[in-house]
Amino acid sequence: MVWSRMTPGGRALAVLLPLLSVGGAVLTALLVVAGPFIGATIGANLPIVRFLAASVITFLITVPVAFLLIYMEMKIIALMNLRIGPDRIGPGGAVMSVVHGLKVLKKEDFTPPSVDVPVFTLAPVVVYLASFMTVMVIPFAPDLTSVGLEFGLLYFFAIGGLGVVGLMMAGWSSFNKYSLLGGIRAAAQSISYEIPLTLSVVGIIILTGTLSLPKIVEAQSGSLLDWFIFRQPLAAIIFFIAITAEANRTPFDNTEADQEIVAGFATEYSGMRFGFFFFAEYVNVFIVSALFSAVFLGGSNAPISLPFSPEIVVDLSGLGLLLPIAAGIAPLLGTLAIGLPIYAISARIKAWQALLAGFLIFGALSTAAIGFWAWAMLPPVADLVWFLLKTFTLIFIFVWMRATLPRARIDQLMGFAWKWLLPASLLNLFVTAAAVLLTA
Amino acid sequence: MTTPLTKPSLDDPRIAIPAASEWYEPAPTAQTERQAEFLNLRDGEMFVNMGPQHPSTHGVLRIVVKVNGEQVVDLDPVLGYLHRGVEKLCENADYHQAICYTDPLEYVASLFCEAAPVAAFEKLMDVEVPRRAQYIRVLTMELNRIASHTLFQGWMALDLGGITPILWSFIERDEIVDMLAALTGQKLLYNYYRIGGVNGDLNHEFMSRLGNWMSRAAAQIDSNLGLMNENEIFVRRTRGLGTLDAATALRMGVTGPNLRATGVPFDLRRDHPYLVYPELEFNVPTRDEGDSLARYMVRIDEIRESIRIIDQVLHEMPDGPVMAKLPRLIRPRPGRAFGAVEGPRGAYGVYAISDGTDQPFRMRIHDPSFVHLQLVGPLTRGNLIADTMAVMASLDPVMGGVDK
Repeated sequence: MVWSRMTPGGRALAVLLPLLSVGGAVLTALLVVAGPFIGATIGANLPIVRFLAASVITFLITVPVAFLLIYMEMKIIALMNLRIGPDRIGPGGAVMSVVHGLKVLKKEDFTPPSVDVPVFTLAPVVVYLASFMTVMVIPFAPDLTSVGLEFGLLYFFAIGGLGVVGLMMAGWSSFNKYSLLGGIRAAAQSISYEIPLTLSVVGIIILTGTLSLPKIVEAQSGSLLDWFIFRQPLAAIIFFIAITAEANRTPFDNTEADQEIVAGFATEYSGMRFGFFFFAEYVNVFIVSALFSAVFLGGSNAPISLPFSPEIVVDLSGLGLLLPIAAGIAPLLGTLAIGLPIYAISARIKAWQALLAGFLIFGALSTAAIGFWAWAMLPPVADLVWFLLKTFTLIFIFVWMRATLPRARIDQLMGFAWKWLLPASLLNLFVTAAAVLLTA
Repeated sequence: MTTPLTKPSLDDPRIAIPAASEWYEPAPTAQTERQAEFLNLRDGEMFVNMGPQHPSTHGVLRIVVKVNGEQVVDLDPVLGYLHRGVEKLCENADYHQAICYTDPLEYVASLFCEAAPVAAFEKLMDVEVPRRAQYIRVLTMELNRIASHTLFQGWMALDLGGITPILWSFIERDEIVDMLAALTGQKLLYNYYRIGGVNGDLNHEFMSRLGNWMSRAAAQIDSNLGLMNENEIFVRRTRGLGTLDAATALRMGVTGPNLRATGVPFDLRRDHPYLVYPELEFNVPTRDEGDSLARYMVRIDEIRESIRIIDQVLHEMPDGPVMAKLPRLIRPRPGRAFGAVEGPRGAYGVYAISDGTDQPFRMRIHDPSFVHLQLVGPLTRGNLIADTMAVMASLDPVMGGVDK
């Protein structure tokens, strides 16, 4: 029989191709027949559809963000340790964190006997859900927010505090003393640091008169000096220290201090459940950095306004049918135009190498050109670029701190929150309120 | 009817899982008064077992910690997971073989573990070591001391949660280990000292590596220290922690940097001189505080003194043979001898008894780590769990020597 002589790839094709063609035909027919009806339904329920799409996109964004952060952390700490770091999988080891994720996915998901099974199972979900739900209010650009809540900041603190419930659940249900200590530490630490964290931004809420994150960003839209890091420097310092503790980062990573309590709340977890904790940690780093850049660093506002505003108007509608033809031919021509001189320049370069180089250079050039055009002509793109630049600078600082600092002891940590940060944030609040009253 | 073949799983109802209460071994019955006190749990206290496989117990040490919340109420180190019976092995080996059995005891500074039995055997044999061999021994031992202390510095940081210093300090240690490997042929367990001298003269690769390293060693080690000595978190976590007073230290038999951190300037190199140490100039660094930070700082100062000693040794090393003339089979006259050296962790001694055969009748090895490990309990009592690690790291025990 033909089937027995086919390779696995051939078998896959033989099964998938008919399935795909039949499925595609059915889908096309469905769209043709029921298309207007589906369109009308979507049009009538636009807010719900938008919410669902935003949720799915936000959820999908968290995974690559976590991958990127894990890779950043591995590579930056390696550089600071005078190591090479990951370099085997992908260019410069860039796919390493994805492989880590896959490894975690295929490991055995083991539930130790005598744990509290429902709580044990739900804990990673709660932790991941909390960090993913806070991503939804982050104002990436003026109109680029999943859910534009009026009380976004309050929502952020409320849902962000939910994560510690998950950590407590994990610590309590694991039937392990290390986990228990880690969970209790997480609870104590989060409760202590949530108070200065929240109080430090009350000054900004007084100044702007709003809890909405896009409006706080908008309030900083003047020059560089309108950013709240310059108008509320004390609050910025308190806020930064408090988010470090909230995200459980060094020097406040007592919840999973591996030298003391092995892995803290995650000691008994394996497989993807541990992966959820791991991902949530990095998503947390991203969201606290994003929040700091939104609240204190002007969010999506550019730090400098360029003296010229490039206007690149590309009108492709006049080309008509030529447009797809040009789009098909241009890469070929561009590849040849760049590859031929490379081929001619040295006899040692083979034809395929020259073509590959030409293709890559053309790709890079055209991507840069399109990127520049988008940056110049589409405001959300430029805003997003500035926002991500600020966020990733902060993430770099977090990674830098992890490579440099030892861990604070739990009593020093709590004492610092209650004895220094809390009075300082109250002082900041009173001074801001007094200034607003006096100037009003 | 056959049962289907399935993957074994704990979810399988046929596998009986005992209730949690049945897992525990029956509580040990107290043999001594101290054990009875330790096993008695008051309200709110629990035991936390750390090790023998724990990230920060420096090898296979197991500590049973009695905690009340985060506070350590009591602490009991459980030893013996690395016991190999080295003393007994040495009794069944001839005098040359005994040296390589003692080698892996303190594996991060194994030249000192060779130097002590070699010193004892030389006293038994009444043999004079050639002066060049003495200088080479001092040179290699001080290098090994630096290697051990730089590693200690990294460990200390790692146990306090900093991850970079250990990799930076491993750069220095790797360089020293590589140059000793060029000299002795091995990287960890050198087996270089012989009764009556050393195995082979200094070679070109060792000297060129040493010259390169000495030209930058002091500056490099100082620059590595900036990451810890000026770090507020590190200083706050170690200052005033695990304070040991001189009287207790002397009563417990503490030696080495841990004793000098309490203000007692006791150093075997100066107080019971051996080899060519009396001819060399060096200070014995001490601190008065006796806390973890002082123990750390004393070791850092010792690195600088060791570099100074190496410098003098390189200038004054004479020419000549590196091995005394001895018969191949060694049969010392019946008698007993004690040889001790100042190791990086303290006085490392070997007490050897000869009965006139070619094998030692008895070899007693005194390891300072074993003594220092007694202090972990008294010093951490009343502190927090995290402090256990800081205190233990600052005492710098090596489990190979403790369990023997």
